[in-house]
Amino acid sequence: MAPPSRSARAAVLASSVQRSKPTPYPSKARSALIRRTVVVVLVLVALTLVTISFRSPTAGALHDIQGAGSTALRPFQIAATRVAQPFRDAYNYIDGLTTAKAENKKLKKELIQYRAAEIRASAAAAKEQQVERLLHFERLPSFPNDYRAINAEVTSFPSGPFTHTLTIAVGSSAGVRLNSAVVSGYGLVGIVSNVFPDTAIVTLISDPDTFVAARDLRTRVRGVVGTGAGGTLILDHVSKTEVVRQGDAIVTDGTHNARYPSLYPYGIPIGRVSAPPGVTDTANFLQVQVQPFANLGSLDAVGVLVPTHQRR
Amino acid sequence: MSLLDGVKAAVLLFVAAIAQVSIFSQAHVFGAVPDFLLVSLVALALLRGSVAGAVGGFFAGLLVDTASLGTLGLTSLVLTLAGYWIGRYGETTGRDRAHAPFLSIAVVTVLYELGLLVVHFVLGESAPAAAVVRSLVPAIVLNLILTAPVYALARRLLRPAERAELSEEVQLLG
Repeated sequence: MAPPSRSARAAVLASSVQRSKPTPYPSKARSALIRRTVVVVLVLVALTLVTISFRSPTAGALHDIQGAGSTALRPFQIAATRVAQPFRDAYNYIDGLTTAKAENKKLKKELIQYRAAEIRASAAAAKEQQVERLLHFERLPSFPNDYRAINAEVTSFPSGPFTHTLTIAVGSSAGVRLNSAVVSGYGLVGIVSNVFPDTAIVTLISDPDTFVAARDLRTRVRGVVGTGAGGTLILDHVSKTEVVRQGDAIVTDGTHNARYPSLYPYGIPIGRVSAPPGVTDTANFLQVQVQPFANLGSLDAVGVLVPTHQRR
Repeated sequence: MSLLDGVKAAVLLFVAAIAQVSIFSQAHVFGAVPDFLLVSLVALALLRGSVAGAVGGFFAGLLVDTASLGTLGLTSLVLTLAGYWIGRYGETTGRDRAHAPFLSIAVVTVLYELGLLVVHFVLGESAPAAAVVRSLVPAIVLNLILTAPVYALARRLLRPAERAELSEEVQLLG
């Protein structure tokens, strides 16, 4: 019976009612049990197979059964492969066509890269050849005594017919001084006309304002190498009575008077007489054309000659 | 499931397994391989329930392992669980839902690939996780492409089970 302060409804809600346990349908419970049993058994069998197969992968009854099964399945696999072959061929054909375009594009790109690399390699080889020649020149007995070479890379070249200078990648910090002679592996290049801490300007012997005291190595005839008409090098101031022949080598003459020292040490090759000397009645001197040994238009490496002992 | 249905299901899975081993396993698309067998198994499990899914997965896996001379039971184990799980989904939540095959394929593809990865890893075999993860999305897409025709074919072969044939223990909304 409910206490007086509580309503009959509350009493009903408060009372604990014993519910009967849900009884599953026997068929459904059996179905769930069968289902779970099946899956557990299958998983256990699979695990057992994995274990046996893993522990003895190359021998045993299971291995033999698997081999026999594989043999039995082989005809089906071959048949499936043959059925699929035309489709596979068609797929491969279409795939080949679509990938060919992309591959072509990729190969063209690679070709451009390889060409650039080949050009870079050729340029490097050419430069290396010049450096090697320069080093060889510096080791020759004819290399000027009391001088050492500061080798430098050429960083800018004559940009046209009106410029006869080039820039090298060494300067005063490396010991380069103004009016130092500059050579390549083949011969005289010019003279340092301006010096900065890490760079220097070299005026070439082809510059109209550059003159070099020179001599014919064979006949000992002296003259001055400068630029003649048309920008060609000439050996000037050679008397008409002197003998100069085509093919004679012209070298720097060096210093003969200590009061007037030459900027170029003796014996640096300048060039070769390129044509038989011309003689005219009106001219005072022979017309001797000289072909420079150094290719002044394509220099990659040069050596700056600086005296080993400081001059006073 | 009648005997005739059982034979049809067996033929479907047999053809799918052979096709998978012989044809589809060589069709690499974006680093993934379409799994015709898994799609067929999912269709069977959705149409015929968890027991058919588990049994079908077990024997289909056994066929694959035998034909490919792999570790026997390995594919069976994963396909058994996949078939059972999808079968349960078909019996309960996924029942009568049009998107059920596609959702099942998307989910089971991920679980199947990861399951195989784990089993291979546990066995100490090569288990390239990064490659598997990278190929997941293409694999899902490829399997989803196969889903519609394979499910339609399976429906033609195996008529949808009556409600009474399927378990009615749980029917969730969703």
